[in-house]
Amino acid sequence: MTNIVRAASRRDVLKLAAVSGLASAFAAPARAAPKSMALMHESSFIPPFDAYIKNVAAPAYEKATGIKINYETVSVGSLQTRVTTVAETGSGPDMTLNFFNWPFLFDEKYVDVSDIAEEIGKKAGGWHDAAKEAVIVHGKWKAIPFGNVGQLMNYRMDWFDKVGVKEFPDTWDGLLEAGTKLKKAGQPFGFELGHGFGDNHGWLYPLLWSFGAREVESDGKTVAIDSAETAKAVDFCRKFFQDTMFEDVLGWTDVSNNKAYLSEQISCTNNAESILFIAKRDFPDIGKATGQAQNPKGPTGQRFHILAPWSHSIFTSASDVKAAKDFLVWLMDPKQVGPWYASAVSYYAPFLHMFDDAPLWHAEPRNLPYRDSLATSHLPGWPAPISRQQSESVAKYVVVDMFAKACAGKSTKQAIADANAQLKQIYKSA
Amino acid sequence: MSAHTQALPAPTVLSRRSGFRRWTEREDVFSWLMIIPPMLFLIALVGYPFVYGIWLSLEARPVAKPGVFIGLGNFIADWHDPTFWQVTQNTFVYTFAATILKMIGGLALALVMNQDFRFKNLVRAMMLLPFIVPTVLSTIAWMWILDPSFSVINWFLVHWGIANPGPSWLGNPHLAMFSLIMVNTWRGLPFYAITLLAGLQTISPELYEAATIDGASAFARFRYVTLPLLRPVIFIVTMFSVIFTFADFQLVYVLTRGGPANATHLFATYAFDMAMGAGQFGLGASIALAMLPPLALIIIAMAVYMRPVKT
Repeated sequence: MTNIVRAASRRDVLKLAAVSGLASAFAAPARAAPKSMALMHESSFIPPFDAYIKNVAAPAYEKATGIKINYETVSVGSLQTRVTTVAETGSGPDMTLNFFNWPFLFDEKYVDVSDIAEEIGKKAGGWHDAAKEAVIVHGKWKAIPFGNVGQLMNYRMDWFDKVGVKEFPDTWDGLLEAGTKLKKAGQPFGFELGHGFGDNHGWLYPLLWSFGAREVESDGKTVAIDSAETAKAVDFCRKFFQDTMFEDVLGWTDVSNNKAYLSEQISCTNNAESILFIAKRDFPDIGKATGQAQNPKGPTGQRFHILAPWSHSIFTSASDVKAAKDFLVWLMDPKQVGPWYASAVSYYAPFLHMFDDAPLWHAEPRNLPYRDSLATSHLPGWPAPISRQQSESVAKYVVVDMFAKACAGKSTKQAIADANAQLKQIYKSA
Repeated sequence: MSAHTQALPAPTVLSRRSGFRRWTEREDVFSWLMIIPPMLFLIALVGYPFVYGIWLSLEARPVAKPGVFIGLGNFIADWHDPTFWQVTQNTFVYTFAATILKMIGGLALALVMNQDFRFKNLVRAMMLLPFIVPTVLSTIAWMWILDPSFSVINWFLVHWGIANPGPSWLGNPHLAMFSLIMVNTWRGLPFYAITLLAGLQTISPELYEAATIDGASAFARFRYVTLPLLRPVIFIVTMFSVIFTFADFQLVYVLTRGGPANATHLFATYAFDMAMGAGQFGLGASIALAMLPPLALIIIAMAVYMRPVKT
């Protein structure tokens, strides 16, 4: 039903745009501002976040400039398909939200926004370095960074306490020790090792990196997965799985760990802030007992996190690129973007330094690790730059499956050999 | 006089109209007129995407970028891709097991439904439920049935002391495939049953009477009367089922997304991940097209083996 409504309104908008275009061609020789523009988003699971744009920001912008902003939301999980359609057909909304490495994937269909990116950054204390990793493509900004949906450790403070672990362990070995005790106490860990989108990559790439291993060298060509460091990471993962978890995690998708945690089946997982958010709203007792922490350090003494960035791009097919840029500059102005961030508390960790100590972080101090993790966050495939090969590796779950196979009983050597063969095949074209 | 002049043009119009009508009623013209609209429909909605798919599979075609013709490059990449071979094996196991189960179960169900009993029509209608409920919805219900913590199956297993803890239906690679086959069978059974039931009802009762008089047992009546007469229907319904099962997408996408470690990845889900996830249309198209030759072989083999015997 909403689809029909949305489709109808879009058609009306197009009609309107066409009519106004014609009218302006005759009436005004100077370039006239468009009557409306559309921004596409995936609907947020935090309703006030979408409501802010629809009910506050868009009407304010229309009042100030006369340009109506249509905020089109698509259902969770279908944004990439929609962006693909717009990029391929050249028709649809003017601007879109991006996840992960999309500014790279859709590079040629996105407008270079380097000029306004610098401007926006300057006004708000500058950009976090992590933001640049995902939006700068061949030296050009192809998107305006927004925020990061970090994947960190979520755990039951009360249960950890009961087995004598007062502070969340600082190393993977420490976490293994705590998990072994907790599993014996009937409260195992649950880390996704299946084919979801985020919660698997969210801890497996950081685990790999913290052992000093990598998928590909920083040249983006040389496959480097077959190393002693990877072997140690895989061995650790198998033991971690056997001693702290149960078989089911091998088949999990992204919803599974939320469900298991909120039904008190597991004592620790790796997830976005959403678990604490929902727990506080729907299961206050679990909410009170939930802690959040950065990922543990590996043998290298370093800790890492997955970068799951959100950003906004303008399609080259946009009816008026200049007007779209003006809108993004206005939207990302601290006056507008500040309340927008705050509407989701700190779920979308701001990439602008100005918000490093903003009230949204202090509304829930337990979320602070998500801010602190930004400095050690990277995209899958790091330290290689973003590339098509890296996208293919993620879509083929090469790294996830390497760990999953080892956990399901394959030898470390064989699991790595499989991944190595797959990566060699993928990076042949690099 | 005036009447005469007025009446004059009428026959010419009439004859012209009837000439047109006669032309359209000529068999060769009429048959073309009838066949052109569906042909156009098929070309637009099946032919064009199909040819475009073939074209894509011969290109290195990243999303949002122009393609480069690379001949069989994508297929060669598939050939060297271990996941592709695992996907191939998965698809065959999945299709073969699910089709056999549906065939046996569907036939049994149809035989039962063909009997006379109270509330026959109501039961027949209820039997169609799995087929009527949108797949994504029923699959989400299955997600809960197979859930480790909330599984009703595991609750019974634990409750009766058969297993503790219950098995991991979607976490164990073999059980995950088994679970998917079961869900597919559950969903596809009504289609088999209702089609076979229709076939059963066309068999004349006199044949059974004659066989009974000749002293044929119940099994013999099934083996020598029912089965041969049902063969054309079994062939058609199996062909449909094989095609649908071979190209299944929704079940896997909702339940496991191909995990654990590709144990349940099928052609359709893998092709989707490559085309949409990795943004490589060419590679995705080549995986989807790879379904075609084995599927064609299966259909041809079935056609030869199950060809209705002409008497």
